[in-house]
Amino acid sequence: MISEKEAILTLDGLNVSHGDLQAIFDVSMRFPRGKIVSIIGANGAGKSTLLNTIMGVHRPTSGTIAFEGRDITGARTSGIASLGIAMTPEGSRVFEDMTVTENLLMGAYLPAAKRKRGEQFEKVFSMFPMLKEKSSQLATFLSGGQRQMLAIARAIMMDPKLLICDEVSLGLAPVIIKDIYRKIGEINETGVSIILVEQEVRRSLQHSAYSYVMAKGRIVMEGASDALPIDEVNDAYFGINRFA
Amino acid sequence: MDILLQSIVTGVLLGGLYAIIGVGMSMIFGIMRLTNIAHGDIMILSSFLTMFFMQHVIGNPVAALLLTIAVMLVFGFCIQHFLINNVISKGDEPALLVTFGLSIIVSNGLFLIFGPAARGVPTELIRTNLINANGISVSSMYALNFVVAVAVIIALSLIMGRTSLGRGIRAASSDTLMSELLGVNTKRMYVYAMLLTVTTASIAGMLVGMTFTFYPTTGTQYLIIAFGCVVIGGMGSLVGTLLGGVILGLAQLVGASFLGSAYQQLIGFLVLLVILAVRPQGLLSKAVRK
Amino acid sequence: MNGIFSKGPAGMAGPAWHARRIAPIAVLAVLVSLAFWGSDYLLSIMILIMCYMAIGQMWNLLGGYAGLVSLGQQSFIGLGGYTLAKITQVYHLPVILAFVLAAVISVLFALLISIPVFKMKGVYFTIGTWIVAECLALFFSTWSFSNYAQGYTITATYAFSTAQIYLVALAVGVGALIVVMAVLRSRLGLALMAMRDNAAASEVRGVEQYRTKLKCFLISAAVTGIAGAALYLNQAFIQPANAFGISWTVSMVFIAIIGGMGTVEGPIIGAVIFVLLRQALYNFPGISMMLLGLIAIAIIMIAPRGIMGIIRRKTQFEIFPVRRHPSA
Repeated sequence: MISEKEAILTLDGLNVSHGDLQAIFDVSMRFPRGKIVSIIGANGAGKSTLLNTIMGVHRPTSGTIAFEGRDITGARTSGIASLGIAMTPEGSRVFEDMTVTENLLMGAYLPAAKRKRGEQFEKVFSMFPMLKEKSSQLATFLSGGQRQMLAIARAIMMDPKLLICDEVSLGLAPVIIKDIYRKIGEINETGVSIILVEQEVRRSLQHSAYSYVMAKGRIVMEGASDALPIDEVNDAYFGINRFA
Repeated sequence: MDILLQSIVTGVLLGGLYAIIGVGMSMIFGIMRLTNIAHGDIMILSSFLTMFFMQHVIGNPVAALLLTIAVMLVFGFCIQHFLINNVISKGDEPALLVTFGLSIIVSNGLFLIFGPAARGVPTELIRTNLINANGISVSSMYALNFVVAVAVIIALSLIMGRTSLGRGIRAASSDTLMSELLGVNTKRMYVYAMLLTVTTASIAGMLVGMTFTFYPTTGTQYLIIAFGCVVIGGMGSLVGTLLGGVILGLAQLVGASFLGSAYQQLIGFLVLLVILAVRPQGLLSKAVRK
Repeated sequence: MNGIFSKGPAGMAGPAWHARRIAPIAVLAVLVSLAFWGSDYLLSIMILIMCYMAIGQMWNLLGGYAGLVSLGQQSFIGLGGYTLAKITQVYHLPVILAFVLAAVISVLFALLISIPVFKMKGVYFTIGTWIVAECLALFFSTWSFSNYAQGYTITATYAFSTAQIYLVALAVGVGALIVVMAVLRSRLGLALMAMRDNAAASEVRGVEQYRTKLKCFLISAAVTGIAGAALYLNQAFIQPANAFGISWTVSMVFIAIIGGMGTVEGPIIGAVIFVLLRQALYNFPGISMMLLGLIAIAIIMIAPRGIMGIIRRKTQFEIFPVRRHPSA
């Protein structure tokens, strides 16, 4: 268990419903500062709802969310983002009709980020040289992998304290996935805390320090990633509880 | 021949005026997917304000326009922040009907304050000709309208294309959630878009007031013209709006030169109906209608 | 009034069932008898309430049920009014013929304009219908057949007493209500409900949807045309600018919104409020319209289903049940 003090983000007893359907049941999580934490779960396990709740898209029916000790439950999405949480949503969602540079500038939209945007541009371009080459191209002409890189780079432009990556590997070739995970590692080394949300069990465990496994809207298993036995995680992933 | 040529020249210039009327509506549609039925009335409201300021506060037309813009910015902020932003996410219909209610409130408010009489913004330009040769004359006012329209559309294009504000507005319009995730308050972007819109509407209101007489109820007539520019030019395209205005102006005046000036407006509306039925996505737009 | 309204879901047996059968007849009897004992002032207000209720119902049938938000219903008001003027004033034919022709001409015109406007979706339809009405206004003011912009004085009005005009208006109002109820309870109504409740699923059957909407459009044109004739029989004077003016549709929209869009009772409540408010502020026409605009905006923002929506949420009652199953 992660202590309150080392956590950058704390979820406490969250319940979330879509209308009459409850999607998240009593979820409590702690995300340690400076570490990579993964949330593993199948499609429909409630991962996306959970992330959207953290980002203020959904309002929980009960429970609290605290970022750096500050209650952000029910705050406006843009307000939460401005505190230093960046999220790359599923499917990259780059602005198709904007150039690569314009997309990156959107990452540096907040005043704090805008002030250091020269520095951030350098950082991003050295991390993703491809983006520098294509800087004046419209994002709509980028390949799937390049879009995902752009989405991550755009998030880095925000100079976040916490980066949430939702399904970054979805639909990409293994070589590119490997590359993206290497970059995420590099970002983490600069001191950014990271939450990885994944469907792929082995990859998640391999790249994170701590893992939560979700099934049917609940946390069914958690622990240091290297201590979690992969076959048990697999069972939990599919909602099989061998301890029941 | 001369009559036709004269109609073409006047039609193009009139199209400029139409474009500046339509450009605000185009912005609001392009950014919020909202058809602002109050657009014509908002513009006529600024015509009345400019007239009022020129008669009672300051004679200088530019100063009166600036005062009008200042008032209209406050007005624009209020309608966007308190009204439209609260219904925009509830689907098309509520927002449309809110602007419809707003249109009725503004036109009746103007009627109460200013009465039913025809009004105008005083200017000498309407009586002078810039060019008067070979049987072709170009009214100074019409020329000014066209020049201002082109300038406003270029300025807006630059703001939308090159500035941080424009990028934020574009981002908010193309992907609301992603923009919020990047820290962009999309509702605030909508407010900024409305402020740009009322600014153009103020300029349009002054030009319309100088060019034609107006009444409290004239707004609806210009709403249809604005809608025409926007539809012909392709919803949301700024340059398209200019082209839309020119096509509408040309259709009216060239049509009138054949059928008589009594049919000028009717021809414009019929052209618009045909375009709406045949190519509702606009003449320029490649987009397919949803 | 309260005793005649019954609570509970549709199709309930027992006393409620009897009340449901008897109540409308009782109300109708009272309304008819009004012609014999009501003062001219009361009757003149009731004429307006009945006519506005009818056109409000028709707008609501389109906007509230069929998903066709039209701002061009004044086309049919004008056509109805001009039919009345032409038939009685120029050809000196009986008024009843004017009412029949008003419906026929409105339906034919609706059929004609459906060719372009039904190609327009959503807001395009909304503005397209409005432009059609504006075209009519412009055309009628340049057309010798309709006496240009001068229009006509309708002297036929003076051949009738207020009570007689009231009975005509009552027939129009009650007729409109019956038409709406019949439509909503028919197969057409079921198709409308299916379309409204599940737009995506019914999207597939485009042809059927087109037919359903077209039928509603034609029905509402016919009734609005008749109501237009009734309104101008009461008004005695017609000109293109007012006959085809947007203010007719403004009133329809406000009546439907304030009363409750997509409910049958809504336009009744809306029409009563609309007419009474306008009457109370008769000497300040601008103020009453502004007030109505404000009320309409407030209702859209606070209670999108209008006054009827509030009543239904609180008490669950329906005066005119149109759903066969008390669901949703």
